[in-house]
Amino acid sequence: MALQVYTASLLKEGLVAYLTLENGNPSWTPDIRLATAGTDSELEALKLAAEQSELENHVVAPYAIDVLETEAGYIASTKREQIRASGPTIRLPQDAVRASRKAA
Amino acid sequence: MYQYSEQDHQLLLERVAQFRGQVERRLKGDLSEEEFKHQRLRNGLYLQLHAYMLRVAIPYGLLSSDQMRTLAHIARKYDKGYGHFSTRQNIQYNWPKLEDVPDILDDLAKVEMHAIQTSGNCIRNTTSDPLAGVARDEVEDPRPYCELIRQWSTFHPEFNFLPRKFKIAVSGAIHDRAAVAVHDIGLRLIKNDGGETGFEVLVGGGLGRTPMIGKTIRSFLPKQDMLTYLEAILRVYNQLGRRDNLYKARIKILVHETGEEKFRELVEAEWEKIKTSGLFIRDEDFAWIKGFFKDPEYENLLDQDGNYENLLLSNLDFARWADKNIELHKQSGYRIVYLSLKTAHQPPGDVTADQMDAIADLADKYSLGQIRTTHRQNLVLSDVKLKDLPALWEELAALDLATPNYNHVTDIISCPGLDYCALATARSIPISQAITARFDDYDYVNDLGDVSINISGCINACGHHHVANIGILGVNKKGTEVYQLTLGGSAREDAAIGKIIGPAFEADEIVDAIDKVLSVYLENREDPEETFLTTYRRVGQPLFKERLYG
Repeated sequence: MALQVYTASLLKEGLVAYLTLENGNPSWTPDIRLATAGTDSELEALKLAAEQSELENHVVAPYAIDVLETEAGYIASTKREQIRASGPTIRLPQDAVRASRKAA
Repeated sequence: MYQYSEQDHQLLLERVAQFRGQVERRLKGDLSEEEFKHQRLRNGLYLQLHAYMLRVAIPYGLLSSDQMRTLAHIARKYDKGYGHFSTRQNIQYNWPKLEDVPDILDDLAKVEMHAIQTSGNCIRNTTSDPLAGVARDEVEDPRPYCELIRQWSTFHPEFNFLPRKFKIAVSGAIHDRAAVAVHDIGLRLIKNDGGETGFEVLVGGGLGRTPMIGKTIRSFLPKQDMLTYLEAILRVYNQLGRRDNLYKARIKILVHETGEEKFRELVEAEWEKIKTSGLFIRDEDFAWIKGFFKDPEYENLLDQDGNYENLLLSNLDFARWADKNIELHKQSGYRIVYLSLKTAHQPPGDVTADQMDAIADLADKYSLGQIRTTHRQNLVLSDVKLKDLPALWEELAALDLATPNYNHVTDIISCPGLDYCALATARSIPISQAITARFDDYDYVNDLGDVSINISGCINACGHHHVANIGILGVNKKGTEVYQLTLGGSAREDAAIGKIIGPAFEADEIVDAIDKVLSVYLENREDPEETFLTTYRRVGQPLFKERLYG
């Protein structure tokens, strides 16, 4: 079974978050590299913690995603989840305008 | 523009207060996400790939300068300093916080705007010709009819839970700039043999996974009957449209499965029952609505200006912009100006808060305080004096809003794609930017002439790829983003669905593929006046296919 982490959207902000579980205490981080990953029984514990967070209205719609382990931490396996983890792959408009003015 | 009545204002304030309560209950946990989701969608609030997304309605694409300033204020205060103009002539914000949304709606209500019915299975924002009321080829101004539809469809109790979303477009001109043939209902203002104005009624057009061109179910409908006829169509759809399969729930499937003739009979039978009801448009009611859209007091001006003509001769950049981004106005001495939101730097349709504020100022200074949005994701200043064009151009160029490319190869419609959208399967914005970067030579773009490229990041086709001369559909193939090409589509009066040309291309191949398609066109056109679409229709797919895959 592939290594997985749990991800969701924060209820208040809507922003992407990843579940960390330390000594049974759940918290949510925007950095996928810091997420807690697991397989099989570890994943079951993560699932229960994610569902509990949803019930407590911290997050919306948690789900598990496949990750790869690298020296820098975990990265998502699919392009969709990589973009979700790191943000749009293009410059946001105000940065683009600034860059184009600088170049001009 | 239509001005809200006291009742309209009250309605909005009550709606904002209602949603504020719903948000508070959600944040406290009194509402589950399942319960809340329907409420937020009714107020245009989605949960997207990275964050919440709020879609704000711009009725038939018409904005006042004050409304534009409020959109800028919202972008600056509650978002990341920009907004995205969509193919439904609306604006979307990509990063609002849930707890801020009631305040955003409050700010919008102050300038007679909202996000109601910008999502959900209801009648969405009616779209129209961005040149309404000023176009030279206009049969009649469609805006009063759009306003009537807006008032009829807002909170219509019978049509609040349709089988699926429902989109209406109205065009009042000879040339279709509103893509009416690919809407659930498309209305075209026409004149009959007796010289009376009425509507050609098209039903069952649409894009998505099953693209279809609308069928004309009535070749001439008297204007006064517009609302009763719309009501009859909606009633037939509401009763018979499929609710068991999301992918077969749009009216296009109902029309297709029922058959055009039978569907027409059902609508006409329903209409007979209600055609004299309270929705019949009385002359006095129409006159009242029309009063909101009467012509401004145009000055009597000559259709020539020495400074303008001198600059055309002396400044190449100005001449190029004037050639591409200006249209004739029905009034002598005035012009219609397109503000291109398609540059190499910004995603198509994106505008920063600073640009929005500046556009509002320019609208006040040069164009009677109004701005229009287009379904091709550009903006329009509709009433600019010929003598003001040089000064306006300078200011637009400084804002990076004067790229001379309207209706040309880099005037690309693009959905947000996988960079923002939870449904997308591939990115579309980087592809549009790569195409724009490749075709940055004005002379080449000019030589190519009138050609459209549209890009969608999934089969839902929000980027209208089916009706582009050159359509690009991004899909995910075994974990890789690949791009399928369709050729020969059109969203205009000669509407057509493009045909897939062959296997998809990888991201680093698609711009070369477009280049090859354009080369085939240039080599085979009969003369420089023959457009890409005309050449394609004349020579067919084989030449293009051979160049791409041979």
